[in-house]
Amino acid sequence: MENPRLIFSSTPHVRTTNSTSKAMLHVIIALLPAVACSLWYFRLPALLVLLVSIGSCMAIEWGVTRFMFHRKNTLTDCSAILTGILLALNLPSTLPLWMVVAGAVMAVGVAKMAFGGLGCNIFNPALVGRVFLLISFPVAMTTWPVPLADGITGPTILSMTKLGTINATDAQLMPLFLGFTGGSMGEVSAAALLLGFIYLLAVKVIRWHIPVSIIAGLAAIDLIAGYPPLIDILSGGLLLGAIFMATDYVTSPMTKKGMVLYGLLIGLITAVIRRWGAYPEGMSFAILIMNGFTPLINRYIRPQRFSPRRKEAIA
Amino acid sequence: MKHTFKIGGIHPAENKTASLEIDLQPLPTTVCLPLQQHIGAPAKAIVKRGDKVTRGQIIADPGGFVSAPVHASISGTVTAIENVIMPDGRTAPAVVIKADEDEHQADTEARKVFWVKIDEERTLEDIIGNLNADKLRAKIAGAGIVGLGGATFPSHVKLNAKDAAPDTLIINGCECEPFLRCDDALMCRWPHQTLEGARLLMRASGVKRVIVGVEDNKPRAIEALVKASEDMPEIEICPVKTKYPQGGEKQLIEALTGRRVASGALPASAGVIVNNIATAFAAYQAIAFDEPLIERIITVTGDIPADMRRNYIVALGTPFSELPFTLPENAMAIIGGPMMGRSAVRLDAPVTKGSSGLLLISHPTNYETQPCVRCAECVEACPMGLEPYLISTYGRLRHWDDARNAGVADCIECGSCSYVCPSHRPILDFIRIAKIRSRK
Repeated sequence: MENPRLIFSSTPHVRTTNSTSKAMLHVIIALLPAVACSLWYFRLPALLVLLVSIGSCMAIEWGVTRFMFHRKNTLTDCSAILTGILLALNLPSTLPLWMVVAGAVMAVGVAKMAFGGLGCNIFNPALVGRVFLLISFPVAMTTWPVPLADGITGPTILSMTKLGTINATDAQLMPLFLGFTGGSMGEVSAAALLLGFIYLLAVKVIRWHIPVSIIAGLAAIDLIAGYPPLIDILSGGLLLGAIFMATDYVTSPMTKKGMVLYGLLIGLITAVIRRWGAYPEGMSFAILIMNGFTPLINRYIRPQRFSPRRKEAIA
Repeated sequence: MKHTFKIGGIHPAENKTASLEIDLQPLPTTVCLPLQQHIGAPAKAIVKRGDKVTRGQIIADPGGFVSAPVHASISGTVTAIENVIMPDGRTAPAVVIKADEDEHQADTEARKVFWVKIDEERTLEDIIGNLNADKLRAKIAGAGIVGLGGATFPSHVKLNAKDAAPDTLIINGCECEPFLRCDDALMCRWPHQTLEGARLLMRASGVKRVIVGVEDNKPRAIEALVKASEDMPEIEICPVKTKYPQGGEKQLIEALTGRRVASGALPASAGVIVNNIATAFAAYQAIAFDEPLIERIITVTGDIPADMRRNYIVALGTPFSELPFTLPENAMAIIGGPMMGRSAVRLDAPVTKGSSGLLLISHPTNYETQPCVRCAECVEACPMGLEPYLISTYGRLRHWDDARNAGVADCIECGSCSYVCPSHRPILDFIRIAKIRSRK
């Protein structure tokens, strides 16, 4: 027992069993219902888009870490897989696969790795990929296949109301909730997305502040504009964005107050683009804009300190 | 609503699996008593090599006002006054005492008698006699009593806060560190004696009321204290929520009184004095029995067989290696709790006044550091309302001014930020560097 070998460490000597990889895995699990729905609705093309997206995101991250960073590969943190899934869910299943690869290059290669990899990016990688594709290939990106109907494409409710072909108040809620309307792979079924939301809250990976305030911000503008808020919330990429994209740790604020402000502004910008902008859909733009404001929010909205300054000390 | 602090806090796995029994650890035949077992000036040895000393005799006088004397914890002969190796591997001057067979026997007998005698419940009036506050403080100072929660600040200095006119004495029985149970065991075993000790501290500091804060994961201790305090009107037993760092001085003051201690100020500025529960018990021993601080209760626990996780009354200066334990694989030995305790590299080093536990756990090798993903867990956890990720980054980049402006001086080094970090980043390590380097 004389002087056994002991390991020296600094405090604290115990650590949480959580890890960043586990958090990413939880988000992936939470996305499974939405993935399953999209595969069910859109069948083989959806599977191809999904696999190509995940595969190219991982390949790009591996390539950059191996040949440019000369570092150990970072695929085990699961963030590349997550970006791949999110990117795929943001695309229509009919998109040509080479475009999916281009989106992945933009997402992981430019938006993430060019900034230094995980934790260093300013903008949400999957959304950068999506917006890049939307601007470059607007027709392909807005040709929405109708679920469960091979080869048939149709407009979304948002695009129809934008063009004035239908009145939003006539839209049916239930099909929107379950996913029988056209749209990107992951945005069609609100039910599946909400299931994922409940899971994420239960495992405490995200907090409710961002998604709820996004919905509140959107609903507020809808009420002013006289558009039915529920239809607006359930359609387009709003829920997908609010639950899975806006809550991305890296690109969202650090304090709860900051999160609420960030969320409200995303909802607001989305609603403004949807009602009065040129695009039928505004969620991606709104999130990216607010990603840019996140450092500013972090700078001005600080956590409440414990200690009052000496002057105001309570006797 | 449960009393608790408002900002931050975490819930680490409690692991309070040690027995609540307290055993007498046999006296060693050699003790090694460092001259600095407290915060402040080191004590000055007043014995020399070859001197005969008896158990309880002063062997080193305080080296200043903020200092404490050191007493012999066994009878015997001073064999050396030399630099000895401390648990962290550094050396410090200490008095080494060796007992022969007869002395060892006599001490062991006397000690047994003392720990039986302590069971009888003596009342305050009986103990206190004609001692006024000044005399009480002098006796506490003379007994070498320091804060036994781990900070080891000399108690008589803390109690002498007349200028600030404090009105409340808080006795900290939270024991919010995971694993440790020595305070819990003490409160269960000697609730009356501990509370009388608290009343002695109250008299010594001239305040009018005592609040004892105990985390609600110690129902047995709370029950025992409530029962013992029935005829002590000045004492209020206050269960607090189990949340780390509930036992942090500033956090506990807020939880129990709603007052917040200002940045850089002492608790007395908020009208409060905080003492550990074990310190109160030591004060009782000192005043009721003239027993100086020569022993303390420590918990031995961790990844060791369940029947080895116990509390012991240990003579100060006993080498840790004499306590019964086994070492787990990839062992870390921690003096104190897992959140704020000190890592030890030498177990032949002595138990000192500040050692509340010996924790033996396996080094967690299953994680690696990943980049910060700004998940805000550390911001949420920080009980001082700071931004640990930011200050840590300032520390890493050597931006001392920025760190100062971000409030690094408020950091209590509780380790909540490093604990919760899912990327397992050494957040506190860089904050600590920033804290030291940013001092003006």
